[in-house]
Amino acid sequence: MTNTLSMLGISKSFFGVEVLHKVDLNIEKSEIMGLCGENGAGKSTLMKILSGIHTQDAGEVVFKGDTIRRGAPPLEVQHLGISMIHQELNLLNELTVAQNIYLCREPRNKLGLIDFSRMNDQAAVLLDKLGEKIDPRRKVRDLKIAQKQMVEIAKAISFNVELLVMDEPTSVLTGKETKILFDLIVNLSDQGIAVVYISHRLQEVIDVCHKVTVLRDGYFVATRNVPEVTARDIASLMVGREVQESRVADFAGDPEAVMLEVRNVSDDLLKGIDFKIRRGEILGFSGLVGAGRTELMEAIFGIRRPRTGEVFINGKPVTIRSAISAIRADLGFVTEDRKETGLVMCRDIGDNANYVFWQKGKGLFNQRKVSSANTKRMIDRLGIRCSSPRQLVSNLSGGNQQKVALAKWLLSGAKVLVLDEPTRGVDVGARQEIYRIIKELAAEGVAIVIVSSDLPEILTICERVIVMHEGRITGELLSSELTEAKIMYYATNV
Amino acid sequence: METEEKAAESRLVGIIKRIWRNYSVIVMFVLILIICGIAAPRFLYPDNLLNILRNTSIVGSIAIGMTFVIIAGGIDLSSGPVLATAGAVLILMQRMVTADGSPAMPLWVPVLVCCAIAMGFGFINGAIITKAKLPPFIVTLAVGIIARSVTMRFCRGATIMGNKIPEFTRIGNGSIFKIPIPFIVVVLLALVLHTVLTRTKFGTYVFAVGGNENAARYSGIKVDRIKIATYMLVGLCTGIAATIEMSRMAAVAATTSGAQYEFEAITAVILGGTSLSGGKGRLIGTIVGFIILGIVNNMMIMLNISPYLSGAAKGAVILFAVLLQRRER
Repeated sequence: MTNTLSMLGISKSFFGVEVLHKVDLNIEKSEIMGLCGENGAGKSTLMKILSGIHTQDAGEVVFKGDTIRRGAPPLEVQHLGISMIHQELNLLNELTVAQNIYLCREPRNKLGLIDFSRMNDQAAVLLDKLGEKIDPRRKVRDLKIAQKQMVEIAKAISFNVELLVMDEPTSVLTGKETKILFDLIVNLSDQGIAVVYISHRLQEVIDVCHKVTVLRDGYFVATRNVPEVTARDIASLMVGREVQESRVADFAGDPEAVMLEVRNVSDDLLKGIDFKIRRGEILGFSGLVGAGRTELMEAIFGIRRPRTGEVFINGKPVTIRSAISAIRADLGFVTEDRKETGLVMCRDIGDNANYVFWQKGKGLFNQRKVSSANTKRMIDRLGIRCSSPRQLVSNLSGGNQQKVALAKWLLSGAKVLVLDEPTRGVDVGARQEIYRIIKELAAEGVAIVIVSSDLPEILTICERVIVMHEGRITGELLSSELTEAKIMYYATNV
Repeated sequence: METEEKAAESRLVGIIKRIWRNYSVIVMFVLILIICGIAAPRFLYPDNLLNILRNTSIVGSIAIGMTFVIIAGGIDLSSGPVLATAGAVLILMQRMVTADGSPAMPLWVPVLVCCAIAMGFGFINGAIITKAKLPPFIVTLAVGIIARSVTMRFCRGATIMGNKIPEFTRIGNGSIFKIPIPFIVVVLLALVLHTVLTRTKFGTYVFAVGGNENAARYSGIKVDRIKIATYMLVGLCTGIAATIEMSRMAAVAATTSGAQYEFEAITAVILGGTSLSGGKGRLIGTIVGFIILGIVNNMMIMLNISPYLSGAAKGAVILFAVLLQRRER
């Protein structure tokens, strides 16, 4: 069988550092190829070379038997039939669905003006083919995130695509939406379109792909047929070592030492939430996207004001109206989106690690000696890989950024630490380190709340799990009785 | 072996890049000095250089405060008009005399009032921007228009002469050991505020607020207070600038005092490498920035070019500087 795509001996350097070393990638017609690797393994760079965003230093890209001109710009590549859907969606919120799909290629009428009715009709046909009922005249702003992704896919296949690259398409989708997406991918493959599927969620890769290619540190490691590999195999190929995953024992600390108690938190979304967490306990919050877990944590942390609700720390009632009062009450909150709410990307590790520490301390000055000692301690303790404490956070990998976000709250001396999606966009190796740190903190007596949509993560680390569905707590499970099926049962509230 | 050499080479490139990133403005500055010296030898005469320093101090003072505002992600378009308002009050108070012709109050009273008024405007700017959640561009533009109009009413559209007592005119025109007093004032101001920016929690928070307001808020930083403080700080600096400006002429002109100063100050900040999107910047850059602007003005005279073209030269310098900064990224 002939290959739709052959990438041969692709090498690329940035600023004198080689990030891809003679990587090969072959994809046949109709094939769904999973592309896996830790952050920094070179997946994105390889795909950016394919889609024309970067130009390779060496090697060639052969598509349908023809070599793609070196340095061909993205639009040219797109017209050849290669489309890429990026992790961050590239849609214009203020335009309609049809306008987004046909951006810069709008059908014209005789006067040379945009023929809106024809454009909307074409878009409707396209969306219909995807089995999606979206009115092409709606503004993208008003769509749900899964629908926005459908629009991206519609846009991609409107180019008569023969190879579609999807970068982490499910990171924002719920379970049901993921299922729809997978059906769609299989459908595309049946129509003869080859798909490159990049994901950190290895089980998904196994579920949907025919083959998996693994990269590590810019080197090609292996391509395997799917029925012959397990998620565990892929993980070990990615890190080059066995990944340890152990189930946890039930909480063994003092059941009376309640560190944080939350009573009757309600607002538009949350409906009468009560829960307790004890000293040194690791409590998970599971549920589908939109269940209100993040909103609950924001309410506790004083970011949003609930209509009712009381918070007790160590048995004493506390009033929390803003982040600073939460910090004074020894709460910590590692948010789910480090770029938006966690870190100041254009500042260095030292500043980011010390912001909360400074808030808690007295005096006007930033006490350089103390803060840089703090930073050094955190870099050592958390194993943050950096060239110096003054390195900008934006230049760190996802896992190391997450460690800096964590360092901020360790230095604050938080006694209750909320971690919202603590390993999102973090590679497998760093993930294990973050779990180790969480366990250490719990052993020191910090009460830890973990909000996670990643079920294996919940199973790996939590001693007790609370499951939420549409603003309510629908179930509570000890780790001894924990299974993915039980969580899903409560999360979907069937 | 080969990889080691490569690593060493890339390290060297890294060091050169870092030097350029941190000190590019100074390298450029020295280059400009050399070029100007060759183009017009008279440029390098000490008297001329000191004169440049004196002339740039007024905009320089505003630019130092403006650096804080811009690092925190804001901008202040009201500084010029506010300088005129605060200056007008200073002149009006300073020219009051008792029956025997001596000043009605000690000089520090009007100077203090002048600074307080400018800070008051800063507070108004900051309070509206943070509490009403309006864009700084629009708020400070409107406040600036109001301030200019109030000044015109004070002065009835004319120029008002102050009391030309030597102790007052000396602030703007005098020198200590040949160094112009306004420049000494600005250097002291810069030293103090450099310490504030780099060594205090407030300074660190200014960077955090400009870099990522949400993350700052989630870290417990009182974002609104920090922003208001930066606008009050540029107000204080504008008050100091107003004092120098008024003392140089001992007069205030309703329509022209402080005109365009806000843009000159913003230009100096940009020239100094501070990012308009916030979160990044250095005071040393701003200082070099306003001195470069002064040099451009001075060279127009030295080379006998029409002063009407000074705007063209400054515009070109901005574009050139910003282009250089872009290429570094």
